[in-house]
Amino acid sequence: MIKKLSVILSIVLLASMLLTACGPTATQAPAAPVKETIIVGGTPEVVYVTVPPEEPPPPVDTGEGKTLRVSFGYGDVPTLDPSLSTDTSSVQVVDELTVGVTRLDEVTLELKPGMAKDWDISADGTVYTLYLEENIPWVRWNGTEVEEVLDCDGNVRYVTAEDFVYGIKRTCDPRTASDYAYVLGFALAGCNDLLAGDSESEEFQALIDGVGAKAIDDYTLELTFLTPAAYNLNIAGMWIARAEPSWIIEGDDCTEARGDRWTEPGFNQAYGPYVLKEWIHDSTLTIVKNPFWPGIDSAPQAKIDTIVFSMLDTPVAFAEYEAGNLDVSGIPQADIDRVKADPVLSAELYQGFSGCTYYYGFNTSRPPVDNVHLRRAFSHAVDRQALIDNVLKAGQLPAQWFCRPGMVACPTPDNNPDVGIKTDMAAAQAELELALADMGLASVDELPEIVLMYNTSEGHKNIAEAIQQMWVDTLGIKVSLTNQEWAVYLKTVKSADAPHIWRMGWCLDYPDANNWLKEVMSVGGSSNSDENADGVPDGGLIWLNETYEQLVNDGAVEQDPDKRLDMYIQAENILVYEDAAIIPLYFYTSLSVSKPYLDRTYSMHGHDAYEKWDIIK
Amino acid sequence: MAEKETIAIPARRKSGSLWGDAVYRLSRNRAAIMGGVLIILLILTAVFARFIAPYTYEEQDLKSNSAVAQWELSIFPMMEPYANITDKYALGADNLGRDILSRLIYGAQISLSVAFIGPVVALLVGTVYGLISGFFGKNVDNIMMRFVDLMYAIPTMLLIILMMAFFRGSFNLSEPGSFAWWMNEIDKRFGGMLFIFIGIGLTAWMGTARLARGQVLSLREQEFVLAARAVGSTNGRIIFRHILPNILGPLIITVTLAIPGYISTEAFLSFIGLGVNAPTPSWGSMIAEGSTAIRSYPHQAILPAIALSITMFAFNFLGDGLRDALDPRLRGT
Amino acid sequence: MIRFIAQRILWTFVVLLFLSLITFGLMHAVPGGPFDREKTLPPETIKVLNEKYHLDDPLWKQYVDYLVGVLVPRVNDNPPTSLTDSYLINIPLWGDTEFHWMNFGPSYRSRSRTVNDIIREQLPISFQLGVLSIIMSLIIGMPLGVIAALKQNTVWDYLGMSVAIFGVSVPVIAMGPVLVWIFGVALKWLPPAGWGSKPPYLMFFVPRQLGWDYWRYTILPVFALGVSHAAIIARLTRASLLQVIREDYIRTARSKGLTERIVVTRHALRNALIPVITVLGPMFAAIVTGTFVAEQIFGIPGLGKYFITSITNRDYPVIMGTTLLYGMMLLLANLMVDISYAWLDPRIRYD
Repeated sequence: MIKKLSVILSIVLLASMLLTACGPTATQAPAAPVKETIIVGGTPEVVYVTVPPEEPPPPVDTGEGKTLRVSFGYGDVPTLDPSLSTDTSSVQVVDELTVGVTRLDEVTLELKPGMAKDWDISADGTVYTLYLEENIPWVRWNGTEVEEVLDCDGNVRYVTAEDFVYGIKRTCDPRTASDYAYVLGFALAGCNDLLAGDSESEEFQALIDGVGAKAIDDYTLELTFLTPAAYNLNIAGMWIARAEPSWIIEGDDCTEARGDRWTEPGFNQAYGPYVLKEWIHDSTLTIVKNPFWPGIDSAPQAKIDTIVFSMLDTPVAFAEYEAGNLDVSGIPQADIDRVKADPVLSAELYQGFSGCTYYYGFNTSRPPVDNVHLRRAFSHAVDRQALIDNVLKAGQLPAQWFCRPGMVACPTPDNNPDVGIKTDMAAAQAELELALADMGLASVDELPEIVLMYNTSEGHKNIAEAIQQMWVDTLGIKVSLTNQEWAVYLKTVKSADAPHIWRMGWCLDYPDANNWLKEVMSVGGSSNSDENADGVPDGGLIWLNETYEQLVNDGAVEQDPDKRLDMYIQAENILVYEDAAIIPLYFYTSLSVSKPYLDRTYSMHGHDAYEKWDIIK
Repeated sequence: MAEKETIAIPARRKSGSLWGDAVYRLSRNRAAIMGGVLIILLILTAVFARFIAPYTYEEQDLKSNSAVAQWELSIFPMMEPYANITDKYALGADNLGRDILSRLIYGAQISLSVAFIGPVVALLVGTVYGLISGFFGKNVDNIMMRFVDLMYAIPTMLLIILMMAFFRGSFNLSEPGSFAWWMNEIDKRFGGMLFIFIGIGLTAWMGTARLARGQVLSLREQEFVLAARAVGSTNGRIIFRHILPNILGPLIITVTLAIPGYISTEAFLSFIGLGVNAPTPSWGSMIAEGSTAIRSYPHQAILPAIALSITMFAFNFLGDGLRDALDPRLRGT
Repeated sequence: MIRFIAQRILWTFVVLLFLSLITFGLMHAVPGGPFDREKTLPPETIKVLNEKYHLDDPLWKQYVDYLVGVLVPRVNDNPPTSLTDSYLINIPLWGDTEFHWMNFGPSYRSRSRTVNDIIREQLPISFQLGVLSIIMSLIIGMPLGVIAALKQNTVWDYLGMSVAIFGVSVPVIAMGPVLVWIFGVALKWLPPAGWGSKPPYLMFFVPRQLGWDYWRYTILPVFALGVSHAAIIARLTRASLLQVIREDYIRTARSKGLTERIVVTRHALRNALIPVITVLGPMFAAIVTGTFVAEQIFGIPGLGKYFITSITNRDYPVIMGTTLLYGMMLLLANLMVDISYAWLDPRIRYD
């Protein structure tokens, strides 16, 4: 049986070798003379012409060009609707498909002109007249290529001021149920009123008209703000105030309304550097270069043709990166040591800025942490640097205050080294003594149980365990650790029954200290809730300090940058030292690896500007 | 031809009860004995953890995070460039500088308790349930199995997660003395394992019940049952003295085989963050945590996995021995 | 037999109803709602959301509406753009009119998809993964168990069973990353993550292309998921076959002069398989839970993760939809098991 097989095999092998030797090969065809009929002086003549062998055709440009492969974290992108976006992944894609009136430079954090190439500000500083770029078309992917969107008369639809007005009003409309509308409400006139309005009442239409966004003409947009704040244009450039295609959302004479589904592939329309091509939920999202985007200074024409976003957990993404299937990746905690020691990977490593602060908040109304000395003791006793060097390992910065250095009007470690609170074991113990004396207790064993809560995650668990141990070592107090999943956690933390110590992080919405000190920590802020809006905090920190409130309110409208910085420094000192309402732990960094053939920029504001990247192979 | 050799008749113990014979046979099975001894050792380790472990399970030495022992380096030389070599910890340290050996020893407590709750509940409740259902057949069987179907259809994970969310979520909202508060207190005593035990118990018995019932269905038509009936045995006698020993074989196998499943469940819950409260260690949670570090510090996941494997081997050999002992026809050893 | 099957199908329906009631009750009893955010939404927005998703109706009404949506088919020509008015099964009839059935509701977390979309696009992937895993465990486990039983107490037996025990004791959580490391990163033979098919699917779950581009994504996850179950099957087959082989009728068959192969396959195996078939039911359940981990480790866009994350997100319709689906598949699997009991062992009768 086997002998027969080998005989057959060898015959086949021989035959194939012979056949290939005889057959013509593509590149060596001898030039065969060709018979051609040409007209010479009116008379047809038959001529034999030697046709040079055909050059092999140049490689066909399949149109796919350069492709960038990146990964978001685990989980589908929740939405691509600018009004509804909250997640980083949503905002990232929205920022490639659309451009705001202003655009934040991702490297310098400088506010640059976006769709508004220029603007005038009124005398009182609240009315902005923006002049928009002209003749930028709406586009869509039609299945094979990017095409311009046409209106009912067959003309190209261009992005107009009316589109921006529509988008802004839609965000402020309670019926849209936008999570982030409150930020716009802080700044834009009439937005908060609309958000609070009753959609059934008769005054509702008046509220819609009362929103401070008006289209003077096709390319002139007038925005009215509540106060002459420095960050007004920052907010106006955010993803919640983009131009939106009303014809496909609401429908018109020649377009079917797509309602909630208008962002799905096939219906999605965009005008920015990229267009949505394909979205396989939970798997990949693909955007392609929009050739009709002319490119502006802050958002040039894209050089990379296709970007494919995967949705992989970090360890999986890193494995894909090492296998060569991803061009950029984050690094799982456990692999940081290996990456730093590996010659290839360490060259690809980049430690970048990340605009976030990690902190522990106190429920300052709950004994025994209602005693400020105890809180200060806890804060002093955390060895922030040890945490960073041994647990986090990504070169984070120890935080002495809350607002992330790099934000406008925020202190920096170089210029303000003594602001806030520092790791200091001796001071911790001294404060503990004061606390015990205050409470009339002889030793720490008499303290009631203190609970430290974090939302379920491996990383938070590690940090909590390390800090728990630090407090045992220095103060002799062992707090109990507990965790809840995110939805329940938020509810618990914001309730009047928030645990003694809870973990939280904050990342910038826009790079200004106001976003931090007022919108998070003051009464009514996201960590110090005021459910019934009566000025008395009832959740989260449950902390009210009149001086602090005064400082952050004044700082919001102060125009002199030095005075402003000084006000915020005073506020920080109250927040983290005098009242020790929170324990600032560290300022985030962003650790990533990128393939050497990528020519890229590193963003400071949380998502990347892919239109500025290039692939050089 | 006359035979030259005399055939030695092996000395036989006086034939006793079925169970007595079983014990005898078990004692001759070396692998089973080894398994049993191992399990006893493990139990002792778990009980006397405090005295055996060189460190406590929560002592951290942040500077020695992910420390690696020299012998581990020789097995995984790729760790050379970045490993923090130490001789302080026999098996190395985890990412917060805690001794892996000590955590394994303490972890035995959780893992063994998970490993025992399941089979105990399964065997007790499930076997009896399946016996009754399969033996009486027809309507009784129908109703009982439909009830099992009902319970089956509820996904365990859903139940456990919702239970935990409910009880842990009512952190502050339960007044002392209320049901939720009591559940939370008991949960704390158990190191956060109460709901996992409840969940595992609730699902463990069903598989055994179905299996037992299936076996009984095929056995009850056999001749020996007929014979027993003819002799006048009561139903109870038939069930427990005749049928039960015959089904115990696959039952014990299944139950011992399900043990890794329970530990996996616990590991899985740790993976999604609903396992034991930090910093209490369990092998499952150590594997889950270590699996993210597997390309950099393989020992962090492999060591608890080996501990798990050894325990599984022990349970399996013991289980095999029990099955061989209880089924006299399977004497192949 | 037909009557038996009909009865069981009716019973399945009752069980699912019961399941939906329990799930509905439990998920509303747990604190936290779908619209809890870091920054509390303004009251008017919450009011609008509650109205839109009918969360302000009394609970019993929400439940009944839900059941009606799932059970009552509709025939109309509304193009499905709304999120609350979409269906899982859409069969075109004539012109624009379609037959719609099974509305599992919108997803609260994703603002542009419904549960029906999620199920239609992602259940097939989990299903493929699960079915392939079970097939793999059977293909590897049964022969292994048979050989071990036939060559009891030889080196094959011990080796096989040792490998089996080892396979059982390493959970997917550890096996997965190791496989990815060896075959995906170090050797680069197979892709570390992803799946080779995308919607739409033929016959609900069959991928359109079945070439190497599809199979290469399936190898590692199917192996990781299935190996522990293969071990269970191997051990069970061995134990059961050992028991059966000692039966008298096997001795009779041998003494009739039949070859060993026929004795084993035609006579012994059929009866030995009963315990194996039995565990396929709960094994199916375990595999479904396992897919959650496998999908996260291998980056597979299946339905598994929705089982867990929907609970965390309080995404009520997704919880209900996935639980009901899961329950239905489990019950069907059990029904199959019971039917094959009767086929394998004619002595088993249900009437």
